[in-house]
Amino acid sequence: MSLTHPSNSEKGLSTLLRLSVAVLVVWLILPLVPLAVWSVSRSWYFPDLLPAEYSLRAWKYSLSETSGVPGALGLTSAIALCTTLISVLIGVPAGRALGLYRFKGKAVVELLVLAPTIVPGIAAALGLHVVFLKLGLAGSVAGVIIVHLIPTLPYMILVMAGVFANYNPATEAQARSLGATALKTFWYVTLPAVLPGLLIGSLFAFLVSWSQYILTLLIGGGRVITLPLLLFNFASTGRNDITGAIGMIYILPGILILLIGGRHLTGRSRATGTLGQI
Amino acid sequence: MINHPLTATTEWARRVFFAAVFIALSPALANADNLGLKNWSEVVAEAKGGTVNWFMWGGADNINQYVSDWVGGELKKRYGITLHRVGINDTAEAVNIVLGEKQAGIIDNGTVDLIWINGGNFRTMKQGKLLYCGYLDLLRNNNLINWQDASVANDFGLPVDGCEVPWNRAQFAFAYDQARTPNPPRSIADLIKWVKENPGQFTYPAATDFNGSVFIRHVFYYAAGGPEKLLGDFDQAKFDAIAPKAWVILNNMKPYLWREGKTYPNAIATLAQLYANKEVALYFDYDPAIFGINVENGTFPATTRSYGLEDGTIGNTNYVAIPFNSPNKAAAMVTANLLLSFDAQYEKAKPAVWGTAPAIDLSKLDAGNKAAFKNLPRNPAVIAPEELARHALPELHPDWISAIEKGWQENVAK
Repeated sequence: MSLTHPSNSEKGLSTLLRLSVAVLVVWLILPLVPLAVWSVSRSWYFPDLLPAEYSLRAWKYSLSETSGVPGALGLTSAIALCTTLISVLIGVPAGRALGLYRFKGKAVVELLVLAPTIVPGIAAALGLHVVFLKLGLAGSVAGVIIVHLIPTLPYMILVMAGVFANYNPATEAQARSLGATALKTFWYVTLPAVLPGLLIGSLFAFLVSWSQYILTLLIGGGRVITLPLLLFNFASTGRNDITGAIGMIYILPGILILLIGGRHLTGRSRATGTLGQI
Repeated sequence: MINHPLTATTEWARRVFFAAVFIALSPALANADNLGLKNWSEVVAEAKGGTVNWFMWGGADNINQYVSDWVGGELKKRYGITLHRVGINDTAEAVNIVLGEKQAGIIDNGTVDLIWINGGNFRTMKQGKLLYCGYLDLLRNNNLINWQDASVANDFGLPVDGCEVPWNRAQFAFAYDQARTPNPPRSIADLIKWVKENPGQFTYPAATDFNGSVFIRHVFYYAAGGPEKLLGDFDQAKFDAIAPKAWVILNNMKPYLWREGKTYPNAIATLAQLYANKEVALYFDYDPAIFGINVENGTFPATTRSYGLEDGTIGNTNYVAIPFNSPNKAAAMVTANLLLSFDAQYEKAKPAVWGTAPAIDLSKLDAGNKAAFKNLPRNPAVIAPEELARHALPELHPDWISAIEKGWQENVAK
């Protein structure tokens, strides 16, 4: 794939690009600076610009077994990954159906899919709690993953429906007519075409699951301890040093995913290129 | 007994009432029978290899470390019990879990084995029959508790009735920075004057906060001329006679509060932050140990000192309780017993560990242990518990507290 920019607009674009990058950095990074400073401070009083004393105690505590942070980091990642995987398994077929086909009651289905983003999840979760208790799912990791699907699925399905709305299924028929198996068709034709959307949806699903507090607390019943739960313990009592340290650990996966997945998010990556090669 | 004649209807109502009480109590009774533990060694044997899920407020790293490391370590070493500390933001979260389980019919396989609890949450659990009761005689260290002390035998005016085990004692105290405020007000009357002379230097958390609510109760006691009239069950007529006086005091204070009283901190942590940032001159807390902890962790200036009020401050005992549906009751009992032991209470009283006052009666200890407590160093920011205890005021019945909190919202906050 080769994009040729007209040389006269390149300069204007790069100034704009630099400016927007600067704004983005200030907007995203600056709020994190006090968090980082808090995490290594011992005494930091208003209106001092910098802490009077530094200490690694907050980090020592946060990384210790006692705090539960290392275990919670693993558990939160595992839950978010499983939630994302299940969201993909449900979201891709559902998005395809909504994006490609017209069927009776489609508007109702679309409304139902959207419902969790309109109705606060807590309302549904309070009722679900009793059901989960009876099913023996309350207080289990499986229960927490299932309840995380409530807020993650709408994002996944909506993104995939958007992707499939601009997708021409005739390319699949073409591949089949040339002798590709169903699996091969999916792997070489469908998947590359929807990959950028799939990655965006997965990123949303992961981060939404990653940041769940009230649903995890309610369904996990204190037995499933994720990072937000530990973070809130200290944020709500004004322990800025430990909140800062756990907060820094908490934003790690988001940054990692952005760095790894970032190039796929432009929507111009190899997906369209692959289609062009066929 | 009741000496006026009973009409047929009231007699009938009584029967229904007792039947209802009996039905409500029967699962708890059945539970106690099922456990069938007759003495301490049977409890210990039953507890071996068990796991205790202890739900407790998790916002202090030093308390978390004491519980997870010291208590957890000793339980494992001495009894082979695994302690799983579950940090929560609000004790009500644990109460709601047990309540939800009861509604879902989970009567013997609940999530929660032990809760750090007192006051309104204890009332909710006791009245909702959510607690396992009547095991205190089995605990070996029960003899270290002075059950004759009304402030131990009653949790916020509600009789404990063998449904929880004392863990700590706390008594409200004020803190100030002696470098900035050499003469802080030492009674509510002084405070009222002081606030006017030092506008913007004082505020208190809203009544929805545990500590804000207890500060308002001190003003209420002052308006009532002491707590005596307020003790016992809630009395609307008494409340109506005293409450307007308290609201007048608090409303007159309002323009001189931090931000002219247009807003109140929503949590005690916010007041701590305001004090740490020198925006206000006074801080207060139900547990004076927090002053030392905050100096220790650098939040408060090292020149922080604390004091009680001349007209006295309110004290309480906080407890641990076992839910009715805990699957590890024996292990939870062993945990509660360990918490009461001299070793555990002494470790917890060390200022570097926690510095909170013991719930056991020190006079029941032998001479050596008594001396150990006496010789404990104390953070200079924390007032001596004995000094505070000289002017201790009782807590009110939870119904009184709810009425005062509601009245504050309606008459002062709006």
